[in-house]
Amino acid sequence: MTYAHTITALADPTRRAVLEELRSGPRAVGEIAARLPVSRPAVSQHLRVLKEAGLVRDRPEGTRRLYSVHGDGLAELRAYVNGFWDEALAAYEAAANSETEGDDDGADRG
Amino acid sequence: MEQTVGELVMRKTLEVAAPPERAFALFTEGIAEWWPVRTHSVAEERAETAVFEAGVGGRIYERTLDGEEHVWGTVTAWEPAERVVFTWHPGREPDTAQDVEVRFEPSGSGTRVELVHTGWDRLGDRAAAQFEGYDAGWDFVIGERFGTAAGAQA
Repeated sequence: MTYAHTITALADPTRRAVLEELRSGPRAVGEIAARLPVSRPAVSQHLRVLKEAGLVRDRPEGTRRLYSVHGDGLAELRAYVNGFWDEALAAYEAAANSETEGDDDGADRG
Repeated sequence: MEQTVGELVMRKTLEVAAPPERAFALFTEGIAEWWPVRTHSVAEERAETAVFEAGVGGRIYERTLDGEEHVWGTVTAWEPAERVVFTWHPGREPDTAQDVEVRFEPSGSGTRVELVHTGWDRLGDRAAAQFEGYDAGWDFVIGERFGTAAGAQA
């Protein structure tokens, strides 16, 4: 259930505040830290988690690194949850249909 | 017309041949018979089985080959043959739990099963409480980007 990773990344309010700071455009760590009651190292740590979750990406610009919102993490989460239930319910459907066909309890007991 | 995260609903429906009593029992206490535990679990290939305990307060969890248990959620409504509701937080702390409701309705000789996954606003509420003014922006991020497809998944 790998989407847990993305939800966990989003569940932290400070991390989401960091993500929100990127909505208006790419920013460097120092710029984000200056706008939030959070230390620079803490912002870096949050950005790392967001990046691992696919929610943020970064690129070097001169001597600094700019971070921006990356939609893939959310798209992945959406697709994952959707596919997750599709697959689980397909297995359920197969089980619920197969056992009725024989009308006796012929289920595997592995 | 921004869609807020609290309005997001992921809905799935299917028809099965089993009658409601059996469809309910299979979905819940019979979960080990069908849940794809090797792919749909916290431990994945190390997961051995899934357990769905009957009744309100019952736990839904996976047991690994090493005997570890990872709780996925807890039953909050238990109406055999009709409806079951449970919290859902696999791989996460319970305070980020979402809700899953599964309804079973007679349909011919079989059952129409509807699964509704909600509670995406848990994340939004947490942020709103601690960072005033951020919730509107958040609704945009998750509402527009995440919500468009998830919410339309009717």
